Amino acid sequence: MSKKARVTMPYPIGKQVPHSDLRGLVERVLKEVPVEFSENSTDLDVTVQADDLLRFVTGLRDRKELAFDFLRNISGVDFGEEGMALKYNFYSFKYGHALQVTVPLRAAGEPHPVVPSLDSLYPSANWHEREAHEMFGIDFEGHPNLKNLFLEDDLHIHPLLKSHPLQAAEILQGIESGPPGFTF
Amino acid sequence: MSIWPEERVIAPGEAEFDTVDMTVNIGPAHPATHGVFRMVLTVDGELVVGCEPYIGYLHRGLEKLSENNDYRQAMGYWDRTDYLAGMACEVAYCMAVEKLGGIEVPERAEYIRVIMAELSRLNSHFMFLGAFGQDVGSFGTTFTWAWRERERIYDLMEEVAGDRMFPTYIRPGGVSMDLPENFEARCRWVLESARKGIDDFDKLLTGNEIFVERCRDLSPITPERAIALGLTGPMIRATGLPWDLRRAEPYSVYPELDFDIPVGLQGDVFDRYWVRLAEMYQSVRIIEQCLDKMPQGLVLNPDLPKTLRIESGECYVRYEGTKGEYGVYGLARGGNKPYRMKLRSPSFCNLSGLQEMVVGTYLADAIIILGSLDIVLGEVDK
Repeated sequence: MSKKARVTMPYPIGKQVPHSDLRGLVERVLKEVPVEFSENSTDLDVTVQADDLLRFVTGLRDRKELAFDFLRNISGVDFGEEGMALKYNFYSFKYGHALQVTVPLRAAGEPHPVVPSLDSLYPSANWHEREAHEMFGIDFEGHPNLKNLFLEDDLHIHPLLKSHPLQAAEILQGIESGPPGFTF
Repeated sequence: MSIWPEERVIAPGEAEFDTVDMTVNIGPAHPATHGVFRMVLTVDGELVVGCEPYIGYLHRGLEKLSENNDYRQAMGYWDRTDYLAGMACEVAYCMAVEKLGGIEVPERAEYIRVIMAELSRLNSHFMFLGAFGQDVGSFGTTFTWAWRERERIYDLMEEVAGDRMFPTYIRPGGVSMDLPENFEARCRWVLESARKGIDDFDKLLTGNEIFVERCRDLSPITPERAIALGLTGPMIRATGLPWDLRRAEPYSVYPELDFDIPVGLQGDVFDRYWVRLAEMYQSVRIIEQCLDKMPQGLVLNPDLPKTLRIESGECYVRYEGTKGEYGVYGLARGGNKPYRMKLRSPSFCNLSGLQEMVVGTYLADAIIILGSLDIVLGEVDK
């Protein structure tokens, strides 16, 4: 077996789709879903309400012109008083274009916002959603196994909320007493 | 997850004796899990019928710490994610900060970063070869051979940055200091040694019948399924898809460098090994080109203030880490700290597909499949 036989042709340099083209495409193909567009320094961003998410993402995945087959990341963001948001990053292996989907959620004062789970569409969403569930207290409707991933099973805290204090876990659980946390 | 009873080798009732499923706990402190990872396997005889992974034993709250430290301080936490390739993680983090703040990087610094990142890739893949060889049964030999090369690379990193594993050498806007005087000669010597080291592994393992028989056709995976599971890096290239972020969504000076993307044939364990081995030759090629092409000049953007303050910005930086797509989602809303920094770690996403890969294989093979994922728990647990 020679080494060279297995080393293939170089991949063609990925042609970067301009954000304006992708925006036009999404507007044209998925015009039945109300969305808002914006841009950040790397991606085109689409804001979709949680009620429309499943319909929109199904379209992203199944429409031939879009073919977003890869869910690369889900991250929650807590804006404190202003509410929360989920950021989904999609990529298409077929066309090489990338899209970020923002789902605004209601204010953090009301615990446990509910979002439909994407697990049935993208198996890779499974662990990302479990992570967002335990870190932010977001409930994913339809998720088969919404358990804690990093934290202990019986520890129901949401550390990445801005309201969560910087304290040792033992003090937080009441197992130990100590000074009120630490600041940086 | 478990397979249906009729798919089992012996269906209940057909056997001459009653069988029960057993639960085998592996980890969190077990040499085969390469860190503090625990998986609970349900076995029917030798056949694995269920797998439940447990992670989080090394969770240090990276994202919370990043939100509460300023942009420079947080870097010390980021190179402890993929601790086998600290430099590469620093580069990814700094790229995210640069995107948020619109910071320019001098060209010489870009070349230095590529050299350091590719040295890290060599380092990480040598670790894989050593540990994976050990999993398969080449006890001791592969590990010590890998360590010989890794020591030389670490020595070089120490000369450059003053530290071996967690150098904190990369800065937003460049690198902290220029390379030492004799760096080029030393680096070429290390590369020559690494090339010989890779050849050694190639001779020892690639044609080794015991090795090949254990790895070939084990847990093959199709490109479509790999994409659906979120596998990236060598895992997806093993399936035959030449997808490498250095080419697919190019960054830094990679478009100016000439290198190939090795791919596998069917995504089995042997292909995963093969892709990593072939990738190492490409890393050596990349570093040699960088040494030839590297211009003189500044290594750190001189216009930067001591304390970075970023008014607003949002980015999702993707970086071809040693294990796959190392993504950093960053959000800045004023002040000297990021508002949110999220790591999409490749090991984490590759590991989420483990359940599907091991169910239906034998217990001894489950260990090899886990080894072939090349996870590093610092990165999985954040």
